[in-house]
This record gives sequence, structure tokens and C-alpha cells, in this order.
Amino acid sequence: MGGSASQLPKEQLAEYQELTFLSKQEILLAHKRFNELTKDERNPPTRVPMDKILALPELKSNPFRKRICHVFSTSEVKDGSLTFEDFLDLLSAFSDSATLEIKSHYAFRIFDFDDDGTLDGGDLEKLVNCLTGDTDDTRLTQEEMRQLITNILEESDIDKDGTVNLSEFQHVISRSPDFVSSFKIVL
Amino acid sequence: MELNEFNRNGVATAGSGYFNSEQSLRLRRPPSHASNQNASPHFDWGRSSEGGEDEDEEEPRHVRELPMPFALRKAVRQVQQMRVPVASRRARRSRALKRFSSQAKNALALVTLWRKSIHKIGGHFGGGVQSYFVFLRFLVVLNFLSSLLIAGFVLIPAIVFNSLHLNTTIPEANLTGFEVCMVYDTSPNALTVFYTYFLDLLSGTGFMEYSYMFYGYYNNTMIVTSGFSYNIPLAYLLTASFYFIFCFICIIVRMGGVWRVAVTTGGGTVGGYSMLLFTGWDYGLQGDRATKLKQNNIRYQLQVDLEEERLQLKAKSLTLLQTVGTYALRTLLNLIVLALIGGAFAGIAFATQFSQTQEAQEGIVGLLLEYLPSIVITASNFVVPLLCDQIALLEKHSPSTTIILALLRAVFLRLVSLAVLLFTLWENITCYTDRSACSPCQYNHRIYQCWETRVGQEMYKLVLFDFLTTIVKLILVDFPRRMVVDNCSWSLVQWVGREEFLVPPNVLGLVYAQTVVWTGALFCPLLPLLNTIKFVIIFYCKKISLFQNCRPAARTFRSTSSNVVFFLVLLFGWSLATTVLIYSMAELHPSYGCGPFRFSVTMWSIVPNSFQGLSPTTKEFLRYIGSQAFSIPLLLLSCVVLCYVAALASVYGNSVALLKAQLKLEGRDKQFLVKQIEELTKKQGVPKHDRDPILRDPTPMAVDPMRASFRPTQNNYS
Repeated sequence: MGGSASQLPKEQLAEYQELTFLSKQEILLAHKRFNELTKDERNPPTRVPMDKILALPELKSNPFRKRICHVFSTSEVKDGSLTFEDFLDLLSAFSDSATLEIKSHYAFRIFDFDDDGTLDGGDLEKLVNCLTGDTDDTRLTQEEMRQLITNILEESDIDKDGTVNLSEFQHVISRSPDFVSSFKIVL
Repeated sequence: MELNEFNRNGVATAGSGYFNSEQSLRLRRPPSHASNQNASPHFDWGRSSEGGEDEDEEEPRHVRELPMPFALRKAVRQVQQMRVPVASRRARRSRALKRFSSQAKNALALVTLWRKSIHKIGGHFGGGVQSYFVFLRFLVVLNFLSSLLIAGFVLIPAIVFNSLHLNTTIPEANLTGFEVCMVYDTSPNALTVFYTYFLDLLSGTGFMEYSYMFYGYYNNTMIVTSGFSYNIPLAYLLTASFYFIFCFICIIVRMGGVWRVAVTTGGGTVGGYSMLLFTGWDYGLQGDRATKLKQNNIRYQLQVDLEEERLQLKAKSLTLLQTVGTYALRTLLNLIVLALIGGAFAGIAFATQFSQTQEAQEGIVGLLLEYLPSIVITASNFVVPLLCDQIALLEKHSPSTTIILALLRAVFLRLVSLAVLLFTLWENITCYTDRSACSPCQYNHRIYQCWETRVGQEMYKLVLFDFLTTIVKLILVDFPRRMVVDNCSWSLVQWVGREEFLVPPNVLGLVYAQTVVWTGALFCPLLPLLNTIKFVIIFYCKKISLFQNCRPAARTFRSTSSNVVFFLVLLFGWSLATTVLIYSMAELHPSYGCGPFRFSVTMWSIVPNSFQGLSPTTKEFLRYIGSQAFSIPLLLLSCVVLCYVAALASVYGNSVALLKAQLKLEGRDKQFLVKQIEELTKKQGVPKHDRDPILRDPTPMAVDPMRASFRPTQNNYS
């Protein structure tokens, strides 16, 4: 839907504008970039595979790129492929005008590596490795990791169940003045 | 009802499986009006449009704010459109107002100076370095607005009136016996070698001295034409005072905003790790180099924070003897630091005295002599903090305490050394040592024919020298250092490494430069304009140097709390400059030979004199405002407002604590409910896979429904 046509019809554009946080120029640019991903194929599919999405320069070096694709993908086989509307969802959540609630919600889902609805020790450890670099010489030592995760759970796990749930996560996020401006991807 | 129809048809896109179950889940729940819309994105399908106006204006935004996939949002919108909205005039007006305010905010954000550069700096080097550049931007805007103010009220009228040769009235004064004071010899020599122009430019003498640049050029005239009168001396004085008040208000407003942020984020150290991990990544970074830089940054920060925590734990476990020993060592080191600073002050006082009392000499030697105070100040500002840093290594404080101590010591050194310079100048002007030189004119007319211009020249030289030092340091130290480190593989060189952008010394440089400008603004009206240009050039030079030469800082620097410290230090500099201003205006006698206050007893006396010229009602009104009958009720009112605001602040603090406790209770309720449900289902003997989907997400009603989609087939709470 909207991925194969070279021009976006006006009603479609208006609908996209109303349902996402993107402006008209941003939607048109997204449409152009999305089509460029499949321009070599004679029969471009509506659903673009994940490796093509990951080739976008904005996502190529992001340590969370695979998680982002998985979170926004509506594919039944969970392969991280995105339709144009999923792509717009992605850009809308990462846009300038998206609200703090939307951004914190999606940030939580991105950090939830095992998709169980809470951030437990394993999720936090994978998160730290993504943030510091996942190679042998850039990871923290076991001791430091343990100390760090204990500190995080002590700070943010308010109900003391050993995991950080969405409300606790949003509580931490709400105290940061920089989150909204750093959780941004602009084409 | 149309909702059931909708549910049966399902959503005709991919992934309809668990979305359907989600819809049915939502339909089963009663509409929960208690849901906090802001805390969790939760859409209530069954809600009717009783909310009326409020709901209407939120609807277009409401659909976007749902964290659902695109197809679901489309479905929700279609449902909403089936309901006829009651678009009253109030709703339309408030909606238009909201749209206008959001557009205005967007436009304002676009207009913000250097927004993209500062954001890029923050992404690569962290919040600490970014806060320096934000502070620099604030000072540029402040100086620009001040220079507009001064230009509008002092410079342009003076230029206009001088060129138009309007009918001027000069106030009468009895000047018998003061002829020797009125000598002001400024005409440059007829034969001047070319390089003297350059020397004059650097020292503010010669052709620059008798120009709009300095105080001495302005006349004490009052222009009275048909229906328009402009009192230049009064304008000069009031503009200078208003300039200070304007800067004070800007600093206080900005500091208030920064303080609010620092308070709400809890001072930084609380929640530091979670905040760093959850909000620390900048998703706008592109390219491998930027990503690696940021990852290194985060890793350094984490490692240093963890190490600081380990050190603190270790420090708590020291024995009594060790703690006593540490405190004794710290006292000794503080005394050494004080002695160093005192020595620097003595040096500056001596250098200023020497430079002022020397005869004017030609050429480079003369220039060096003129710049001697600046050279000594800059040298001490460079050497003493270096020694203090080495001493601080022995003190064994935690890293953040060390940084704050270094900042405070350097502040003390820089600003008080400036004060010593000014004090020495004032001593010479008012003949502290040699009473006879001041006999007719009440200031030392032999050395200073126009002492205000001389003070203005000193400040001008300080500003220029500071600028030159910064640029020269960048060119001669930072760039070569990077080239040596990159191309030479000796272990010593690699150990020294690339430069690290240290924020406290750079911020102090800015505060020092701004204090000098404030001190000199009364005597050199174009100084704020010069300073604007200087700070703009420094911004670009520092930015280029940062990206080319520096590596990310290994030490943490909490930007939110340090922002408050920057503004406090700036305020300290401002109060120093205000002291100078008030003393010059109220105590010292203006020069007889130059300037707009030629024949007044003090600069301030022009105000009471002009007061006589006002209309009687204005005089009465101003007298009433100055009297006790007005100021005491005003004071009482301010106290009442202060008490009210303090009470409000404590109430908000209490509600934050209450909300935190409520969050904890909610978690406990959740666990309790889970246990209850498990017991009930066990009693009834219902098999696991048939259990109601609500079990998949046994959270309180207000939390978002999307969690069900996370585990479509698992059942974590069985």
C-alpha cells in the first residue's frame, strides 16, 4: 500500500499526515527513500527485507538497528521486514514532534531484547554491550557489569521485582531533559 | 454497536493475529476514566464524546499518540470519525491557538543560533562540553543585545548630533582655579610612522583614543530643538545602569530555567546510571567514527562512575588514623594553594604599579610595558591552576569534588586578580600614596589627563590580549600537539595523547572575559560590540579545534548541575563589575577635560540635577516611590509572595514523593492481584492454556494494552 506507486496520491498523503507526526515534506522524502531501496527490482515488493533497511545511512551504524526493525515490523514471520507504513511509523516515532510518551514507549520496546515486556538483567546486559561496543576490548568486565546492573536495578526498580517495567522506565525517562532531542532520526 | 461489527471484520492488514486478540481484550475492559493519559498511551474504544470540547481539540493529536502500528491507528481514526464531533467555537479557537503556539515554537527553534552545531557537539562529546558551547551562545546573544542597547541610546545620538551641529546648551559651571585640570592633549603627532597605527590599535592610544571608542570623546551637551530634547550625559549614565540591570535579569532568568532542570532531574548523581543508559544514546549519529566516539564516551563515563563509587566505599572504610592524616594533609595543601594565590596577587599589584608610573616609551618596549599587567595576569592564570591541579592529585577527593574545587579556586584566582588590577589603578587615580598630586582636581591629573579613557584603555587591552592568547594557544599548541601525536609513535608522546577539552578552564575564560567587558563598558561604550565579535570568532575556533584535536573527556562532567555553577560564577563576576561601576559613579570625580560629565561633582549628580527639570507631578511621584511610605509596604508584599512561593515548592516536593510511593504501591498491588488470580484459577481447576487472556497482562487498568502483544503465546505468570 503506497510502496509501489511512484507518486503518493493526495488523500493518502493527507491520511499519513494525520496519523503520524510527520510533515508533508518528511512523508514525501520517506516515500522517495523507501522506493530507492527497491528500485533495482522489476516487481518491487510491498515489504522490504531487513537487510535493505539496515543499509540506510541513518541506521547503518546504529547499535540498535536490528531491534528497531524488529519493533516496528508488522511481519508475521518476525523477520524485521518493513512495509512503507511501518517505515512511516518508525520515522514518526523518531521525529521531532513525537511526544515523550510515544518515544519512551518505543525506547522501552527497543531495549526489551527478549520481548517479554520487562527489562531484566539479561536485557540490561545486552543494552550495556550495545552502548559500549560489543567487541572484546570495548566491553565492561564481569565485575563492572555486575556492579552496574545492581546499581541500575537499585535506582529504577521501584517495586523491587528484579526487572524494570514500562512505568519505572518512563519515570526515569521523564527526568531527563535531553531524551526527546536525542531520540531522533531525521532523513 | 459499530464497534462489534468492526471487531468481527478484523483489521485487514498483516499481523492481524495478535491485533485481533488485543482488540477483544480492550473491549472486555470497561472504559477507565481514571486512566492517566499522559503516563501511558491507552485508547479507550468505548468512550463517548461527553468530554466535549476538550476531547475535540485533542482528537487529531490523540490518534498519533497511540503506540500502535499504522493499520490500527487508521482503524481507530475511522471509528472516531463515525462519531460526530461537537465543534464549538471555544474548541476551534483553542485548537487554532494551540496550532499557532506550536508553530511559533517550531519557528523559534529554527531561529536559535547554532542549533545544529551544538547538537552535533553534544552527540559526539557529551553534555559537559555541550554546556560550554550553550553558555558561550548565551553570552554572545547577551553581548549583542547590550551593544544594540548602547548603540541606540548613546552612540547613534552622539554621532547624529555631532554631524548635524545642532543647537547645544552646555551647563554653567564655576571653573576658576581648575584650568590646569582641563588640559586634554589628544591630537596625534603630524608625522607618524605607519607601524604606530598598529601599535595604537593594540593599545587604544593615538587615533583610537579620541574616538567614539572611549569615554573621552563624548560631550556633556544637551540638545534642545523644537519639541525634542536629549540629554547626552543622562542618556550615557542611564544606559550604562540599564545595561547592568538588563544583564542581571537575563542571567537570573536563564539560571532559573537551568536550576529548575537541575532540581527536577534530582541533581544528577541520583539515577545517574539508569539515566545514562536509557537516555544516553544519540540516535542521530551517523557513520562509524561518530558511533565509536560516542561508545567510547559512554564507556569512559561508566567506568569512571563505577570507580568513583568503589573509591567512596573504600574511603568510608578507612581507620580513624588514616582519616585524620588525610584531613591534615588537605589543610596543609589548602594553605599552600592560598599562599600561591596570594603570591600571584602581589605580582599583579606590583606589575600594575610599575606599568602605570613609567614614562611613556616608544615602540615595542612601550607596548610591552603597557601590556605588562595583562601578561602577568594571564601568566598567573595559567601557572597557578596547573600547580593547583597537581596539588589536588594529592588531596584524594572524589573526581566530581575535585572538579568543583578546581573551578572555585580558579574563579577566585581569576576574578580577584582582576580586582587587584582595578584596585591598583584606582589607587593611582585617587592618589593614595601621593596626596599632593590630587590637590586641584581630586584626581591625579598629571598622569591621567582623562582617567576614564585610561581605565577604558586598560580594559580594552585586557580584552584584546585575552583574545590573542586564545587564538595563539589554539594555533601554536593545540594543532601541533595533534600533529605530533598522530605522526609520532614514541610511547611518551602517546601517553600524553591528544588534548582533552576541559570544560572548567574554558568556562572560566569566558566568565573572566565577560567580567572585563562589564567593568569597562562604562568607559568604553563599544566594548560589548567588540566582545560579541570576539566570542563569535572564539566559538568557531573552539568548535574546529574540538573536532580536529580533541578526544572525548575521560572524566565525567554532570552538565545539569554544572550549568548552575557556571551562572553563579558569572553572577559573581557581574557583582564585581557592579561594585566598580557604583564606586566610579558615586565617589570619583569625573575628569574636567573630557567626557560627558565634565563639570559635575560626580557622575551620579547629573541625575538629581536633571530631576529639577521634570514636571511637578513626576517629581511628586518619584519622591513618593523613593520614600519609606512606599518601600516598606513593598518589602512586606515581597515577603508574603516569597512565603507563598516557598509553600508552593514544598507542596510540589510532597506530591512528587507521594507519586513515587504510589508507583511502588501499584507494583505491590500487581503482585497481590496476580497471586489472587492464581489461587482462584487453581481452585477452579481451569487448565493453563484456556485461561482468560487478561491473565497474560495482569496489570492495573491504566497501563497500556500493547504489552499483550509482547507475549502472544507465553504465559509468564502461571
